[in-house]
This record gives sequence, structure tokens and C-alpha cells, in this order.
Amino acid sequence: MWFYTLKRLGLSLAVVVAVVLVLFSLLHLIPGDPATIALGPRATPETVARYSAKMHLDEPVLVQFFIYVKDAATGDLGVDVFSNRSVTKIVLDQLGFTVILVIAGLTWAVLLGIPLGCFSAVRPNTPLDRMTGILSVGTIAIPSFLVSIWALLIFAIALHWLPAIGAGEPGDTMDQALHLILPAFAVGLGWVGYLARMVRASMLEVMNESYIRAAYAFGLPERTIVYRYALRVAILPTITLVGMGFSGLLSGAVFAEVIFSRPGVGKLIFDTVMSRNFPVVQGAVLITTSLYIIITLVADLLVAWLDPRVRESL
Amino acid sequence: MLKFRQTRRGFLATTAAVGAGTLFAGLPRWANAAGNTLNVRFDGDIEILDPGYMTGGVEIETQQAVLPFLVEYTTKGDTFTWRPTVFAKSVVQRDKTHIDFELNEGFKWSRGFGEVKASDVKYAFERMKTTDWSGTFEALDHVEVTGSHSGTVVLNQPFSPFIMIALASGPAAILSEKATEKAGGKFTLDIPATCGPYLYEQIPGQRVVFKPNPDWTGPQPAFETVNALVIGEIKAAELAFEAGEVKCTKIGADTMARYQTKMPPNSALKVAGELQYMWMGMNTEHPKLQDVRLRKAIQHAVDVDSILQGAYSGTTAKSFGIVCPGLIGKRNKAGYSYDPGKARQMLSEAGVSNLELDLRTLNLQERMLAAQIIQANLGAVGIKVNVIPMDSGPFWDMGQESKGDTWKDLQLWLMRYGTNPDPYEATQWFRSDQIGVWNWERWTDPEYDRLYKEGIAETDPDKRDATYKRMQEIMENTGAYVWINHEPETFVHRTDIKIHVAPSGEMNLPNFKRA
Repeated sequence: MWFYTLKRLGLSLAVVVAVVLVLFSLLHLIPGDPATIALGPRATPETVARYSAKMHLDEPVLVQFFIYVKDAATGDLGVDVFSNRSVTKIVLDQLGFTVILVIAGLTWAVLLGIPLGCFSAVRPNTPLDRMTGILSVGTIAIPSFLVSIWALLIFAIALHWLPAIGAGEPGDTMDQALHLILPAFAVGLGWVGYLARMVRASMLEVMNESYIRAAYAFGLPERTIVYRYALRVAILPTITLVGMGFSGLLSGAVFAEVIFSRPGVGKLIFDTVMSRNFPVVQGAVLITTSLYIIITLVADLLVAWLDPRVRESL
Repeated sequence: MLKFRQTRRGFLATTAAVGAGTLFAGLPRWANAAGNTLNVRFDGDIEILDPGYMTGGVEIETQQAVLPFLVEYTTKGDTFTWRPTVFAKSVVQRDKTHIDFELNEGFKWSRGFGEVKASDVKYAFERMKTTDWSGTFEALDHVEVTGSHSGTVVLNQPFSPFIMIALASGPAAILSEKATEKAGGKFTLDIPATCGPYLYEQIPGQRVVFKPNPDWTGPQPAFETVNALVIGEIKAAELAFEAGEVKCTKIGADTMARYQTKMPPNSALKVAGELQYMWMGMNTEHPKLQDVRLRKAIQHAVDVDSILQGAYSGTTAKSFGIVCPGLIGKRNKAGYSYDPGKARQMLSEAGVSNLELDLRTLNLQERMLAAQIIQANLGAVGIKVNVIPMDSGPFWDMGQESKGDTWKDLQLWLMRYGTNPDPYEATQWFRSDQIGVWNWERWTDPEYDRLYKEGIAETDPDKRDATYKRMQEIMENTGAYVWINHEPETFVHRTDIKIHVAPSGEMNLPNFKRA
């Protein structure tokens, strides 16, 4: 297990380094002068010079890269070009909102998707199974931005049932929970389908195992067989999927965050790309990528811990 | 090891809880403007509140709520002008280089920094000459303090737009000398001392909250608290307005067209200003475009009305020059009109055939549509046009000699500049010394350069009007311009409030009233 963990840690570190390299290169591959792009076409030469010096743009590219890596290794991701605020703090301030949104979205998806998958698996090829299948594929196929827009138009604008924008009054938990419902619905809907399909497939496989047949032969109640014996094994691939889903949604929640004007890392990246605030873009992408890698790593380690066959295969 | 307990009963209970939550949420408690609170939209976070280093927009809107100014924008008929704020007893342009002012007494800085005095005005204005906004204060020589609350702004040359473009806009916020110096002479988000009807607090990415300033002795604003909700996307802001969560927001051209057909209940539109001018430019030095007859033929070949309808849904004002609506010098007619027959005749006289031109534009929806309409118009008179969409980085570099050699290949392009509420600003980019900088059409005219200097020195509105109209006529006669439109800064608001916005689109929140 330790060897497996070290191996995975090494791989993760390599991915982080690659991401830093790509991120850094992108800034220099964008056509046009980085200072002019960031400050706008009418910036005075003095402002451009000051910006270039502050961002080390007057240094050779290789030197700039090493400065960035050295600072990033100590947690210093630079400062916002406009406000001089620490990029690390700006990103961490927004990260909490995204994490809450992703947890809420995935929680309801898990609560609905897993039982739906089990339900389909124990009644395969029945009309109810087919209907569940159609619904699952339908929810997977609908893009989250479309769900966001329709949810907003129906529940906020037409019915006035739920708030349309923002994260709610700071300090008012109930208000914040209300502001979470529509974005979480939009973010989680596709995952209901994913999880239902994944659990159904795994369950069908497990339900054909001999120990399950033995359980039926012993006359155990179906509920016990399904939830206590079959699902415990069938859930393993789902853990990896949920881990990847959580990681992916950290930046993938951008549509919901932008459409609902909800603070979060995705919206931060979107806004700072629009304002050409590259240090914040780099910092936010780096932090979300690192989190992605960490969560995927944790999910993989969890599966390896649960299933010895996985760690032996590496 | 892994205990997973999921029962049908548990599942039903969870579903019921979610359903109940949704049902309880049916009460629109978050809806806007309960009591004495007003919700409006900010299009981004405030970044730097120091007038010398700010970006503008929401930062100016914040400054106007928490810092003193000498003057503010207003309108007189259809023309933008200025008036003294509550902080000023009088502001008078004594002659071409002297502006006398007198502050009202009793306005106190926060954090115990004393009263707002003329020395603060001197400090705030003179420091601007060494900041990022120094260009706006180029004409300022110094501020003379003549009393504790009075002084004179002295200009180093006759510069009639100074009050409109410098004093009435964001960079002319007055700062407390003592507080700012104590803070090191520069600041970002924490203004060392404020003086205005509101105090502010920013929650990054969410809102800026303006709460009543307990030490404020001036007239009370109509709304005790203003929540400026940060909504970056204009579409999201429009939906927030329709959902009743904000009472005032800027809107886009397509929504303006939709609202003009069907306005949401209890709502009204307000065009704050149309201080943007768009045109199709031609490089007069390019070998393909050196013949003025060809350029004038192109002027006649473009159907601007189709662009206004097809690309802008009829929401923008037709342009006849670079001076925008509401400003001195605005033209009401161009010297050419859409006439493809005449265009063909002029092309024939110029001996032009099988001409192929490149039209460069920013890769934005409306510009691309406009470019495609122009492509069709010119195609109809026998000129093949290749539309080249570009990102902002290379686009803004392409005409500048300091940024490479693309300017040599420039033929046609769609350009839009924004301007201040005075015609001088728009005309400055086309002087001879701007060739290779912002005069991408690359023509010179001594009369234009002379009139530019006369225009900024002249204080007589009628003479200025004639000057700026003549300058646009000179531009048009080069054949290098097809005037297109002036895009508006449009706001939608509920009819139970009266809004006050600058022509450049900044909300003056203390001046919002109940209808």
C-alpha cells in the first residue's frame, strides 16, 4: 500500500509541474503584448513599464518561470495586478463557495442516483428500468448551463419561488441555503444520470456473482441482499467516479456560478480571464488543478484500500 | 468495513425534506427593496479606490458615494453639462485658465481627520499629475488656496473641457491630505478617510454594501442602504432584474430591443449616454486604397441603416461623425449617403475592378454581423471583402507602428472608441502626431491640427460647435471613414425609483430618488 501511495504521489507531482509549465507558457503564447492585453490599449507607457516590472515581464522568460515556480512552491502565487491583493487569498476566499456548491450538487445526485441504479438493476429490462434508463441518459445529455438557465427562468423568474442570483446574505444560513438550491440542482442533475447508469451496470455484474445467488438460495430478504451485500461491492467504481466528479466540478461549476452570479472559483477564473488578470487566472487554475489531483488521489487510495486487487495491479 | 445503509424509507424521507425545503423557499424573502434598502448591480468587484490608480466604472460609483467632489454631471436639454455637488457652494469658470471654487462648511472626514478644506482639494488634484490618470490633469498647473474653504484651480493653458472631463468624472475625487499621507500617499481598497452619505464594505465576489454614514451632515440619500450586487455578466444582471432582485441595471442592445417591444411590468428604460463612436476605417496609405475616389465609393456602398437593424436591432443611434450625441459639435447629417449606383460609377471612374480587400474586426457578435453586412454591400458593387475576426490583443496592436509591421497591411477595419462628455477627447486621436499611434487611417491635415488647438482653448459653445463640425467634415472628406453608430449605455429600472447616471454609464447612488 505504501509503495502504491508513493507511486501515485510521484505521478501527481509530475502532473502539477506540467500544469504550471503549460499555464506559464500560455501567458506568453497569447498574441499581443501581455502588459497591453492586461492594461488595455490606452495604458500609458509609464503604467505599462510599472506593470512589466511588477510582473517580471522585463526579465527573460526562463527567469520569469523560475521566479514563478519558486514563489508558488512557498504558497505565494503573486498579487492581483489591479488591487495588489494576494492571489492565494483571493482564490481561497472563493474556493469555499465552490466546494459547498459541489458538495450540495453531488450529495443530491448520490442520494437519488444510487437508489435509482439499484432499483433498475434489481428489475432489469422492465418498463420501469427502461424509463429510468431514458431519464438517466436524458439528464446526462442536457448540458448544465442549459439546466441552469431553465431552472433560473422557471423557478426564479416565472414562479418567483427561489432566488436568482448570488450566494445569499452573509451570516444568514437559511438565505444561503435557499440560494444554493438552484445552482446545486443544475450542477448535480447530470450526475444523477451518471451515477444511476454506473451503479446499475456494477450491480448487474455483482448480482450474477455466486455469493449473491447463494444469498438468494438461503432465503435472505432482497433488500438485505441488494443493499448489504451487492451494493457494498458495486459501489467501488462509483467512489472513483464521485471523486472525479467532485474534482471536475471544482472548475466545471463555472456555468452555474456565472449564470447564477454566485461567487466561486469558476466565476473567478471567468471574470479574471475577461479582465486579463493573468496572475489570478494562473493561481486559480493551479489551485483547482492541485485540488483535482489531491481528490482523485484520495479516491484512488480509498479504492485501493477497499480493494486489494487494485493496488496489486499497479 | 464499509457500512452502507440506505432504505426506501430513508430515501423517501430525504426526498420529502428536499421537497419541503423547496416549498418553504416559495416565499420571496430575498426579493429586492424591502423597506429602505435598494439593490443595484455592479459589474465587478472594486479593485482600487485611489483615484490616481483606479480602473474606473464601479470604482467611480463607489467614490461618488463615499468621497467629496466639486462638480457632477447633469443635462441641460439634450446636452450634457455640470453642476456643483452638495460639497460646493460655488464653482465658477472665471476665465479660460481659472476656475474658482468655494466649499460648503461642516463636512467632516471620517476617522477624525477634521473638516473637508480647500487644502484637501489642492492635495487631491495636484497629486493626480503624477499618477496613472495624469493625462486627464495635463492642463492643471496648480490649485491656489485662497481661504480655508475656497480656492482656484489654475490651468497651464486655456482648456475649456477641464471641468467636464476632469472635475466631473472619477479622478477628481477629493481626498483628505492628512489621512492619505498618513497611509503612505497611496491606497487600494481602504480609503484612509471618507466623507459622503454612505460608508462602504466590500464582500469580494458578492456585493458592496453602502450603509449610512452616521457623521454625514449633508442631505440624506433616499435609500438608507444600497446593496450593489456583483453580477459580472450582463445577461445574468438582466435576469436578476426580471426576477426582482435588483432595481436598476445596465442592459445590452438585444435586451433593449426586446424591452422596447415589451417592457417588464413597472419598469422604464434610461439611456445614460451614447459616448461611443464606431466607424469603418480605411488606410489611406495602402496601395489598394490610395485613390480618394475609391474610398468615397466605399462610403456610398455601405448601407449603414442595415447594419443598425441587422447587427444592433435598431437600438443604436446612427453616426455622422466622431462627436457623440449630447455633445457640442454633434453632426446631424453626413456628407454622403448609401447609393450603390453612385458607388459603382465612382469605382468605374477610378478604374477599379476585381478589387479584393481585408476587413479586420474584433471577434464580437455585433461587429461580426456588421462586418458581414459590409461584406455583402461591397460585394454588391464588385469589391470582394475578406472578413478577418481578431482577438483583442493583436487587434489593438495592429495599427501601431511600435507594435510591429501589421499597420502596413491594414486595409479596412471596424473600430469603436469610447470618449468623455466633451468633443475634444474624440478628436485628439486623429491629429498628425497620432499617425501610427491611433490615427490608423494615416492622413494629415494642417487645418485639422489647428482647429484641434482652437477647440480646446475656445469657451464659446457656438464657436466650439462650428469648430468640431468642421473637423469631422475634414475627416469625412478624406474618404477614410464610414460612420456607423453610437452605442448607448442603457439602464432599466423600476418605475418607483429615479436614477442618476453619468453619460459614461456610472451610477451616482446618493442621487437615486424615490419616484
